[in-house]
Amino acid sequence: MSMDKQDSVKSLFTAQSAKVDTNKGDAYYEALYTQCRARLDDLKKLAPLNNRMDFKESIEEEGLERRDFLKWASATTAMLMLPASFTPLVAEAAVMMNRVPVIWIELSDCAGNSEALIRSDGPKIDEIILDIISLEFHETLMSPSGHQAEKQLEEAIEHFKGKYLLFVEGAIPRGIDGYYGTIGAKAETFVDHLERLAKDAAAVVAVGSCATFGGIPAAAPNPTDAVGVMDVVKGKPIINIPACPANPSNMVGVLLHYVLTGTVPELDSLLRPKFAFGYRIHDNCERRGHFDAGEYVEEWGDVGAKNNFCLYKVGCKGPMTFNNCSIIRYNEGVNWPIGVGRGCIGCSEPDFWDKYAYERPMANANIKAPTGGVEKTVDEFGLGLLTAAGVGIAIHAAASVVAGKKSEDSKSEENA
Amino acid sequence: MIIRELIEKIEGEAELDFTFNEGKIEDVQINFGFYRGMEEILEGRDARDALVITPRVCGICNHAHLITAVKAIENGYENAGLKVALSPKAKAIREFTLSCELMQNHMTWFYMTILPQLEKLTGEISTQNYALKASYFSSTVTKAMSIFSGQWPHSSYAVPGGVTCDPSYVDVMQAENLIDECIRFFEEMLTGLSFEKYLSLNSLSSLGSVEGDLGKALWLIDKNEMAEAGQSHDRFIVLGDSVLAKPGKAQATKVSNVALRYVEESVQTGTTAKAVSYKQKLYEAGPLARAIVGKEPLVKSLHKRYKDSIFTRVFARVHEVATLLVQSKKLLNALQLDEPSCTLGKMLEAVDFEGEAAVEAARGSLIHKTSVKEGKIENYEIIVPTQWNLSHGNEKEEGVAVKAMVGSKTIQDATFIFRTFDICSVCTTQ
Ligand code: SF4
Ligand code: SF4
Repeated sequence: MSMDKQDSVKSLFTAQSAKVDTNKGDAYYEALYTQCRARLDDLKKLAPLNNRMDFKESIEEEGLERRDFLKWASATTAMLMLPASFTPLVAEAAVMMNRVPVIWIELSDCAGNSEALIRSDGPKIDEIILDIISLEFHETLMSPSGHQAEKQLEEAIEHFKGKYLLFVEGAIPRGIDGYYGTIGAKAETFVDHLERLAKDAAAVVAVGSCATFGGIPAAAPNPTDAVGVMDVVKGKPIINIPACPANPSNMVGVLLHYVLTGTVPELDSLLRPKFAFGYRIHDNCERRGHFDAGEYVEEWGDVGAKNNFCLYKVGCKGPMTFNNCSIIRYNEGVNWPIGVGRGCIGCSEPDFWDKYAYERPMANANIKAPTGGVEKTVDEFGLGLLTAAGVGIAIHAAASVVAGKKSEDSKSEENA
Repeated sequence: MIIRELIEKIEGEAELDFTFNEGKIEDVQINFGFYRGMEEILEGRDARDALVITPRVCGICNHAHLITAVKAIENGYENAGLKVALSPKAKAIREFTLSCELMQNHMTWFYMTILPQLEKLTGEISTQNYALKASYFSSTVTKAMSIFSGQWPHSSYAVPGGVTCDPSYVDVMQAENLIDECIRFFEEMLTGLSFEKYLSLNSLSSLGSVEGDLGKALWLIDKNEMAEAGQSHDRFIVLGDSVLAKPGKAQATKVSNVALRYVEESVQTGTTAKAVSYKQKLYEAGPLARAIVGKEPLVKSLHKRYKDSIFTRVFARVHEVATLLVQSKKLLNALQLDEPSCTLGKMLEAVDFEGEAAVEAARGSLIHKTSVKEGKIENYEIIVPTQWNLSHGNEKEEGVAVKAMVGSKTIQDATFIFRTFDICSVCTTQ
């Protein structure tokens, strides 16, 4: 390989991913601040929806300290890529999460995303999620069941027409006219159920890789012809929060953003919020230094593994995966796959089941790399392989740049 | 007269059709409206892909699927003549993380399903925030687990030959602290007794001193005159080897040996869930089965009085948390951190093999069978715990849960009995 090709690959891999515009200028943030302020003042006038606790009360009840809460608020502000001056607004928005009705449905899923949500940020933030957001309907979390639950769902749709956020977990099987998945006494298919509920929603949030891209049910040969929400719902704002399971922090982030601004967060070309999916795992990985130094785990349990070397050669898909787990991690930030020496499996990427979710490194997998390029082993490699990965990333970046342009355009329209 | 009842509040959704005769339930048909085709998806993939795919069968028992999948591969390697010698460290870490999944499941079930349903049944509605209690315990114990497994749900940290993590003393200490916090919860919220005191209980009569939420649940069952309800065949099965029990089966308390080859799966009409039996007989799987086969004294003394009723069944599941807390502390204490985490190099790999494994998941024995040709999965079979309890039965006898419900006077009573089995439809239908 020629020297300059090597250099260009190197620079690609060491560059910060520049797609996320973290500083949009004072004028932008000032306008946004005013907008959020007005929104929160409006929300304040609404009575809290009555099936949930008041946040201020529950802070005291559960002994959540104001200081801890502010700490959480400032971390969340940073995660949403807003300047620190927004922290008080974010804190205020969190308190008013009970003004926005949420309906949560489970389709062809494993319930893993709900499970991750109930086990999210510790009792303190859990409490915010469980008690503050106005969960008008959630099969697993609510107490009524059966016919009673169905009735409650119908009432919620009617009452909050056009106002609720619809969270969807699980894929939608379309095979045999949708009868691989039915719900309720009338055996409504998942397709019909989703279409009906989406019609009156303010926006639809697809949670997890199943709901976003079809996920595991859609893995080849896709026995039930499963697809994601965006293939079924048309004419509604859709926000995709992929990953398997989706990270609770990102679910809360989207919700909070909606409460704060009344709009959906900035999205990339795959409708993923940029605040969470603007970076590759590889960009912020704690083992990145070893990658750059060429120090790899060669096999499980070797010296490299003992020394937390880079997992690329044992199949890490971090360089091809856009997500923020390397920053926010899982289970209250305790750990994440790479933290225990297990490479990333690319669980937030489209078609990851068929493209990434295997044990082998990209090069040994007998599948088409993102470039459609030739397969090589890592030892033959390295840069040939990196080029393959690199081009995949470049394509992705280009798509995002296009998306970014769009937002630029709409911004200038707004300003005009 | 047939009355149809939908059950949510379990993972996924089930539909029960009740047939009444003279004011009592005579038969129950259990249906699930859901299918993903997991076994089909696995065919043709690399043998080790099962490690990342099978956990996604179920968001609750995902870790049990991972452990079963890795053991099935290791069993296959050994059948093919490869030696897989796990280090005691790797074994103990797997056992620990799996125990954590069991504990979190049991407590979530107890607080989110059993207590609220019991309150509804007896009209003793409290204003307690059970969801918060459930999530406090569960998030604490899953934190302990993710120190080793990286995340919950859907970790893939177990690989043929061991585990990928290489914990330090600080990690182990952190996990111990979290387990201690769970013990504190057990004392203050669940039983109102010091842990030591709780562990010294040895008879049905001593249970009277249990307070807290467990005391409340037992009292509510008794008050509703349901302590003897929900009895079934009084037959139990444990196929996996764990800190809780050695594999075995029991008729009442008489324990005998088992072998995986006698487990049979069959298609049932009207549902995508398959039935499963052992030598044509139906068995109850889960914590009650483990306690009886493992000869757990306290549960046995309850069983003596109440047989396999909901009282014994509910208690056995909560009590298993105590046993697991004790065991997981032992496992952590005994870890020898200088042992290898993984003993199989990547070069060592069988390409043609048949492997199988059974593991005790939260709801009972979970079985994976894999046949691999030239490195690719030819056939993959998953038998999940709920299939044991929910099979419709055959000409000779009724299914375990069905038999438990038959004879109830109301649908409310029957669905409560149904829930004491900790039903999960997600994995049952895959
Ligand atoms: S995305 Fe993953 S966690 Fe979510 S439902 Fe699908 S398999 Fe389960
Ligand atoms: S472990 Fe994966 S994400 Fe981290 S540096 Fe290596 S290749 Fe990149």
